[in-house]
Amino acid sequence: MSTDFYTSSILPYAAIIIKICRAYTNTQEDFEDYYQEVCLQIWRSNENFRGQSEWSTWIYRLTLNVCLTLLKKNSKHHVTSNHLPDVAAEDNRTFDDESLNHLYIAIKQLSEVDRAVILLYLEEKTYQEIAEIIGTNPNNIGVRVKRIKERLKKILDGKVN
Amino acid sequence: MEKSIETIWKEGFLKNDALVAPKLNDLYNQKSKHIIDKFKRMFRINLNAIVIGSFVILIASGVVGIPVMGIGYFFILNTIVLVNRRLMKDLIKIDKNVNSYQYLKSFDNWMKEQLAVNRKLARYYYPLFFVFMVLGFWFSNDIQETFKGILERPNQIYLINNIPVLWTIPIAIITGLLAYFGDRIYNFDVSLIYGQVFRKLDELIADIEELRA
Repeated sequence: MSTDFYTSSILPYAAIIIKICRAYTNTQEDFEDYYQEVCLQIWRSNENFRGQSEWSTWIYRLTLNVCLTLLKKNSKHHVTSNHLPDVAAEDNRTFDDESLNHLYIAIKQLSEVDRAVILLYLEEKTYQEIAEIIGTNPNNIGVRVKRIKERLKKILDGKVN
Repeated sequence: MEKSIETIWKEGFLKNDALVAPKLNDLYNQKSKHIIDKFKRMFRINLNAIVIGSFVILIASGVVGIPVMGIGYFFILNTIVLVNRRLMKDLIKIDKNVNSYQYLKSFDNWMKEQLAVNRKLARYYYPLFFVFMVLGFWFSNDIQETFKGILERPNQIYLINNIPVLWTIPIAIITGLLAYFGDRIYNFDVSLIYGQVFRKLDELIADIEELRA
């Protein structure tokens, strides 16, 4: 990958990649691996970008596809809905902003797909865009977002582990 | 909760430390962990290992005096490789630019097709491995010498056209069992290695399908 490509086509969107990779990893080492892998895939796949969506939307899609399919064999890092408390407890990375820390911990207690939905929602993607990126029915996204927000609120209020 | 999650998200990321991109290290040499790339890589390695293994077996069987087994194994193993190389062409075609559902589904479909083809093959190659092993030993000089020794003793063995009929019965039973259970043996074999990945894929697809409904 050329430095030019990274600087001009990836770095301006690094924030998107960081936010998503962060939500799917538990350690800084994994996070860096995921980030690197996403950059690699963007570079490899950029010839296939057909301009049917915005470059940023395409990056969201590719980042999510990479994160959703980076399946760790190591059971310590294996994330399933049955192991949620462990996942949140394992992550000891912190942001300066305490509220953001809590929000990330709460987001990581969601299923992988719910995480994708809420991350896209928080990035102000429309329900239509979220549905297109994930490949779902836009009519159900609104309901799902509402349900996820309620769950996040409960987690943040300490009503759910 | 005082602030909404939208506000926490926006305000939290205004602070510079939150979004520091990690340095990229030698991307060309980084091992890709992407599941499809991982599969492609594992697939290639497996297929190359089988080809090398088939030559090793071929040579070794000649050296130890059971060439029939080596030749049989060589053809079976290389047939498996040929079939799987064809399947791999479809894996390479999977497009990463489609939405998550289509992407996971394409991979899942490829995986199912690949497993179905190999399951069918397994019903043939497991018994064939056994048959060639038996033939290899049967046509080896050592076994033939031993067999001649047995034949010199009267009434020791029942032959039809110089074939010890009773000996073929357990061989036929084992061959039949391997043909019957070949697909199950293959399933077990695969689930040991990829079981966790398959479960994970099913879980993800089911979750997205629920949203699509």
